[in-house]
Formats: sequence, structure tokens, C-alpha cells
Amino acid sequence: MLKEAAPAAVAPVVLDNVTKRYGRGRGAVTALDGVSLSFTAGSFTAVLGVSGSGKSTLLQCAAGLERSSSGTVRLCGKELSRLSHRQQAVLRRQRVGFVFQELNLLPELTVAENIALPLRLDRRPVSGVDIERAASRVGLSGAQLRRRPAELSGGQQQRVAIARALITSPDVIFADEPTGALDPHTAAGVLRLLREAADGTTVVIVTHDPQVTRFCDRAVFLYAGRVDQVLPYPEPAMVARLVEELGERADGGRG
Amino acid sequence: MGGWMLAGIRRGPGPLIGTVVASAAAAVLTVAAISTAAAYTQAPAGRLASASVVVAGSTNVSVTHGSGEDAEHETLPLPAYRGVPASLAHYLAQVPGAASAVGESGFPNGAVRAGEVDLVAVNAKPGVSPDVLASRIRAALHGGQGYTIATGATRGDIANLNAAVERSNGQALAGALIAPIVLISLFVLASTTALAVNLRRRRFALLRAVGATRGQVRRAILAELAICGAAGGVLGWLPGAALGAVGVRALAAHQMLPAGSAAWLSPWLAAIACGTSALVAWLSGQVAARRGSRTAPAQALRETAAERKWPNPLRVLLGILAAGGSGTLMAFTLGQKSAAGQLALAFPLLLACMLAVALLGPLYVAFTAWLARPAVALGGAPARLALAAVAAQPRRAASAVIPVAMAVAMVGTVYFADASIQHATASQAASTVTADNVLSGADLTAATLRQVQALPGVRAAAGVTPVSAAVTDPDLEQAYGEAVTSGPLGHLLDLDVTSGSPAAPRPGQIAVSALEAGSGALGVHTGSRITVYLPDGTPYRATVSAIYSRSLASGDLLLPASVAAGHTGTPPGYSQILVSGGTQAELARLAAGHPGLRVTSRSVANAQSAQAAAQNSFANNLILGVLALLSAVALVNTLVVTTLERRRVLRLLGRVGATRGQAAAVFGWQAVFVVGTGLIAGAAAGAVTLLTVTRAITGSWTPFIPLAPAVSLVAVVAALAALAVMIPFGVMSRRESALTSG
Repeated sequence: MLKEAAPAAVAPVVLDNVTKRYGRGRGAVTALDGVSLSFTAGSFTAVLGVSGSGKSTLLQCAAGLERSSSGTVRLCGKELSRLSHRQQAVLRRQRVGFVFQELNLLPELTVAENIALPLRLDRRPVSGVDIERAASRVGLSGAQLRRRPAELSGGQQQRVAIARALITSPDVIFADEPTGALDPHTAAGVLRLLREAADGTTVVIVTHDPQVTRFCDRAVFLYAGRVDQVLPYPEPAMVARLVEELGERADGGRG
Repeated sequence: MGGWMLAGIRRGPGPLIGTVVASAAAAVLTVAAISTAAAYTQAPAGRLASASVVVAGSTNVSVTHGSGEDAEHETLPLPAYRGVPASLAHYLAQVPGAASAVGESGFPNGAVRAGEVDLVAVNAKPGVSPDVLASRIRAALHGGQGYTIATGATRGDIANLNAAVERSNGQALAGALIAPIVLISLFVLASTTALAVNLRRRRFALLRAVGATRGQVRRAILAELAICGAAGGVLGWLPGAALGAVGVRALAAHQMLPAGSAAWLSPWLAAIACGTSALVAWLSGQVAARRGSRTAPAQALRETAAERKWPNPLRVLLGILAAGGSGTLMAFTLGQKSAAGQLALAFPLLLACMLAVALLGPLYVAFTAWLARPAVALGGAPARLALAAVAAQPRRAASAVIPVAMAVAMVGTVYFADASIQHATASQAASTVTADNVLSGADLTAATLRQVQALPGVRAAAGVTPVSAAVTDPDLEQAYGEAVTSGPLGHLLDLDVTSGSPAAPRPGQIAVSALEAGSGALGVHTGSRITVYLPDGTPYRATVSAIYSRSLASGDLLLPASVAAGHTGTPPGYSQILVSGGTQAELARLAAGHPGLRVTSRSVANAQSAQAAAQNSFANNLILGVLALLSAVALVNTLVVTTLERRRVLRLLGRVGATRGQAAAVFGWQAVFVVGTGLIAGAAAGAVTLLTVTRAITGSWTPFIPLAPAVSLVAVVAALAALAVMIPFGVMSRRESALTSG
């Protein structure tokens, strides 16, 4: 299926002054506070920060999994607040891929069925060849396609999730701590695969692991719901130092 | 919708098993009820098998209310033959096509008047079909008004008038069962499906995140439920059919269906069972599916999906309305004039109370958890953990408490209402009969009565016979009472006459119970004129001579025996003769002259009638059995599912070093809380209905609650709950290797 290409000048993910609040009145918590960011086509960006800095909220608002309290989010050229729930769902399955930390896959479906899920939801024809191609891009063999997720290792499960994210040739892939549950070696393998397989696709990874930035073009640091720094071509050692500093600031703020 | 979306059924269907089981139970009972309702056995034509056409006086009584276009006809099958003139046989023999016509008598409930026969059997000439002959006979009888003309299988109903009465009783009972079964099944399934959907929130969130629309998720859930429902229907068919067959046999044995009745066991029932349970599952899943489809996709990203602690304000509002509605309905029920009207509202009242408990469950649970806090300090860490879980998630705890409350409310109300009525009947019977001795058995004729009255020392004696009469109160239905010979009743029966004459009614008079009439549906008082229809359909227009309040044992009508004689379809005589005064020896001597006649003292006679009343509660026990089965399924199902849901907690307890015993104590304390709060809520909901029913029937606010059944009910509920929690706990804890034993 031909994909409507986003104009090169327009970034597929643009957040403009986005604020997200949970709760009301005195108990309200501001998770994102006037964040403006854009993720250009084909970029591979890591979003980092200490716990509670708003990383996951940023991803959820950018991907349309949560509605922002104010500000605008443009995903694949569409302003999310103007889309109905249904239109957002259709946009997600046609133009966006997801990789989560765990519970990525439906346990009752086979690997092949999990990979084909977005196509099925979109009522598109599913050919075995397409699935095998997507699987081979992430290094899964034909025999593994008939297995259930529980029969695979953690690293293999994440590869299945990546294959599922890639099956629709999306404009954007959002990944939330995709290697959080993996050992450093397996994690590096999964990230390398994602980097290679997602060639040309915009990737946004939320992580707290500085090593992830080895594969990234850019690192965005969040602190207290705001963008603290943006680092092009990040070096893991520097990233680690910055994360450490953010942690100390957070401790100081609390203390 | 692709079948792939339904893969959840194929593999790891844990939560859905409950739905299947609940649907199966619903199907079992629906099938049983339908096959009972459809039980249809034409009574054998017997002596009439060779007759082409049978002609009897109309076997129904008809009443017309209103006039003109608003006229409303009501008919009721008669328990006795009207009788037709013997000369009718001669007349019908002249009808073209008739070979012969013979007047026949001596059927059970037959006419016993001179010059009359029960019916006329007409034989057709060769070559004349019974239907043709029947239509000619109808023409000869000027349209057949006032007659029942039967051919073929329907002759059996004329040969045995009880068949029609019993069949309509049986169908009324089954019809009365279907509504509660469907309603309660809907409730049980709704709560089970809500849990099944809740357990898989993250699965739906993931589907939503990768682009499933709300509609797709909703349709997938509903399709799953319909399939589970249909599977439940298949499972439920055979047991349901078996239960139906047993039920029909039991009803026939208790004269509530014609003898020889068979349940309707057509293969179509399997289709109906599947269809019904699939439909019920689908309907009950609407709310759950809607909630499931609205799962925020972002929940797929969270480790522990945040669940709303407090119920939706709409639920609370509806709960308050249901509670208010129950109060209003209770007041309205007590304000109903007739006991029948009050009883008709008892089930809706029970449902309204249970609905209030179900809707306000979470608030009730939170409040109880708050109250229980000081007591929990005594139970140590496990009790504290258990209570914390309840207090943190009152909605979830309520979903376990509600079925316990339902079981207690339903089973308790039906059982104790029946027990209260029986108790009141027995104690009224004891104070109603004031005669010293009761003669029963054979040969209780008018001549015997005269002999008894002539015995030295006899102050009073009267013959009594049970009798029924059709009354319009306001629907045409049979009222039961007694026919009694004339004279003062003072030393024989104390009916607690509240107005009018304490003597037996004379011809042209009738005495009516306060429940049926005094303040009741007949809307009559002493001196009113009413028309009742005797068993053979003869109208009896009478003046109300008395209104009495002790009617549980002796019935709602008191008719003069001389009026009922010859119209009841029973041989002349009485079923009992009540005697006051006279000596035991004189009575024994009299009995010796009448083979089959027995003399019993008042106390023995009363004990016998109390026993007879107990046997009459078969229908009630049947309803009770059905409700108990459904409640038990609901209770076990919900508790098993809610326990399995806490697997994560169990794992965590193991990781932080809890022993198996401590983990068991946490789950055990939760079961204790669930059973305790459920019992209290159920008792409260049931008490409203129980008090109303007791008040309606016995006039007293005090229900009779025998200790042993009350304790058994509590024990069974507690045991079921304990098993439903501890067995899944045992299975899960064996799998959690982190739990240390000790």
C-alpha cells in the first residue's frame, strides 16, 4: 500500500506549548508544562529524564494516547485535538508504530498474528510474505512465527514488537523504554535492529538509559515537565553525566 | 470482524470460563422452565375413546366485565361438570350423521343431580367424519353456546377436568419462574462479564494503542460473549432437559400438572437454549463492552493500571433512586388492598432492594471497611493487609460482596416467607378449630351428622367440606374455602369474626375472609351482594353475612353446605364433622357403626392439618431450589474470578517474604470480610421484603425465622465463599515458588 508521504519540510511530530495536567484543584499534577518540540522526518530521538519528569506523558500526548490539557500536537500533519477517537485510532494503525517495555504482545495470538495486528485492525489483506519479510528484518525465523509470545525470550518478544511496529511502514515509531527489561547486550542488539529496520522512519524513544543514545541523532532532556536541554549527536558518557545532574537537582529540589 | 480478534477464547480463556458457566446455568434453568411450561399431555380419552364427538356443559366459566367496546371476557376452567339433561342424548341422536348418542355419568368430579348426566358421547355413522358431525351438533345446539364440544385429542380434557386446571396451574408456575430466572441470569452474567472485561483491561488498552477503534474493541468483546453464551447454552442443554423432566414429574406428582405429563424435549430446545444464553450474555455484556472499549490506550504503558476507586456518580444516583424506590414500593405494597396484590409486588420489591444493594455496594463496602478498622488491629498483619486492599478498592471488593448479599437476600426471603406463612397457618389452625373432636374418613353423610347431633351431651356439630368458587377479585380466579352446615359455630370454629354473624351462613349468604374481602379486592363488607361461581359453574348470588380474619387454615370463603351440595363434583357428604361435647365412648360407639369413620381429638387433627400445609409448599421449594442454584453459581463464579485477579498481589507477598500461611491468612481475612458484609447487606435487603410479605399474609410484622435453617443458610454461604476463595488460592500459591512454606 502506498503511504502518503509527509512533506519533507513538515516534521511528522510537532508539539507546540503542550501542557498536560492530571487531576483538578489542589491535587492537580502538571506532568508537562508548555513543551514545544518537533521531531523531523527520519530522525531518531531519545527523550530522557529522571522519574516523574514527564517523559512517558510526552510520548503519550505526542502519540495521541492521551489528550493534552492545552497546546497543540500535530502527528503526521494532523492536529490531534481536531480528530475524533476513531480518527485517532485509524491514524495510529496506519501511520504510527508502537514498542512498549512489556505487555507488548497479545499472549493468545501467535507471533505472526501479533505482527499482523495493525493490518488486520485496518482490514487490509495480510500476506504471509509480508509478515515473513517484516520478521526477517528483525531477525526472526519462520519457525518462530508460529509460536506464542510466552515461548520467546524477552529480546525476541521486543523484536516481534518492532516487526509489528514496522509492518505498516509507519511515519513514526514511538518506543517507551523498549529495552528496560533487557540485559545490556540484548538491549544493544534490539536497538541496533530498530535503528537499521526503521531506516527513514521517525523514531521517538523514551528511556532512562544513557546507552540508548548511542543509536540516536538527538537527545531531549526533560525536567519537571519542561524541556531542559536538547543535545544533538549525544555521547553516552555525557548523557550519563547530564542525567546524573538532573537527578541531583531533583534531590536538591525535594530536600 | 476477523476471527483472530476472538483468539482470547481459543487460548487462555480464564476469565471467560466464568461467563460460559454462568450462561450454562442460565440455559439449564431456562430450558427446564420452558420444557416445564410446555409440558403438555392430553389426558387419555379413556371411556370416551370410541366416541366420535363428546358434548358436555361448558367446562369453563366466563365473566364479562364492562360493556360495549370495553367489554372484557375472562374464562376459567371449571373443576366440576356442569351436567346436561339426560334427554340431550336422545336429541343429539337425531342429528344427521349421528349413529347413536349415549348419556355418560360417573366421571371424577361428575354431576350428581337427578335427571342429569355428565356428558353425551355421540357416535358417527360410517363415512361421517367426527369434525363434520361436531359442526352439525354445534348447529343443532344453536351455535353450541353453553356447551363444550370435543373431538379427537381434546376429548381427554373432558374425560378428566382436572387436567385443564392442573395444566394451567403448572404453566402459571413455570411462567412465574421464567421472569426471575432471566432477570437474575442477566444480573449474574452482567457482573461476571464486567469482571472478565476488567481483568483484561490491558489487553484492550494495547489493542487501542495499536489502532483498534472503540467500536472494534466493543464488537470483539460482544462477539466473545455471544460465543461464550452459545457455548454455555450447549453445555446447559442436557442438564436443563434432565432438570425439566424431573421438574415435570415432580409437579405431576404434586397435582400441579396432569398425571403422565412429559417435559417438552424437542431438539429445538437446544437451539433455543443456545440462542437465549447467547442473547442474555450479549445483552449483559453491553455495559462491560462499553467500558472495555473506553479503556484509555495509555493504560497499556502503565505497570499497574490505575483503577477508579469510587463508583461513577451516576451509579450512586441510581442506587439512591433504587433505595428510595424500594421504600416507596414497600409503602405502596402495604397499601395494596388484597393480599394477592401485595404478594404480586413482593418479587419486584425484592429486586428493587437487591438493585439498591448492588448499586450502592462500593459505598457500603468502603463504609464497612472504615467501621472494621479498630477490630482489624486484633487480626495482625494479614488482617490489616486484607482490609487495606478492601479500603483501597471498594469497587472491586463490592463485586465479591454483592453476590453473597444476593444469595442471602433471595434464598432467605423465599424460605423464611414460606416458613412464616406455614407457621402462621399452623398456629391459626390450632386456634381456629375449637371443637373437641373431629370425625373424618368415610360415610360422613347428613344422616351421620344427625346421629352425632343426637348423641347425649353433644353441644354442637357441623359438617365441613373444602370447596372452591370462582370469584372476581378483580381477576376471575378460584378462591378456596369451606362449605359448612347451618347452625351456630361458636363451639366448633373460631374464625375471629370481625363483623356480621358468627353463625354459619344460611342459603343466600356467604362469609368472606378479611384478606379476600373485608379491606380487600372484592371490596365488600357485611351486607354486600356478591356472585361467586360454584365448581360446576353455577352462579351463587349471596349477601355477605360475616367477615372473619382467621383464614390461613380454613380458606377465604364460607358457603352453606346445602348450596354447594350437588355442585362440587364430589359425592354428597362432608370431609369432616366437628363435634363439641359428647363423650369419647359415645363417639367411638357411633364410629363402630360406620366402617372407615375415624374420631380424632382436636390436637391430633390440628397436627395433621399443619403437616398437610407443609406438603403444599412444594412449588415454593421448587422456586427456592432454582434461586439457590443461580445464587450459588453467581457467588462461586465471582469469588473465583476476583481471587484469581489477585495473583499479582500473591506474587508480591511471596517476594517480600510472606509465608504461605500468611498469604492464606490475607486471602482468608478477605473472604471473612466479604462473607460478613455480604450477609449483613443481604439480610437487610431480604428483611424489607420478608417483613412486607409476613405483614401482608399474617397481619403481623414478626416473621418466623427457625434457627436451624437460618444457621444452615449462613453456613452454606460461608462454606461456598471459603471454597471459592481458598481453592483458587491453593492453586495459585502452589505456582508461586517465592512463597515460603511455614
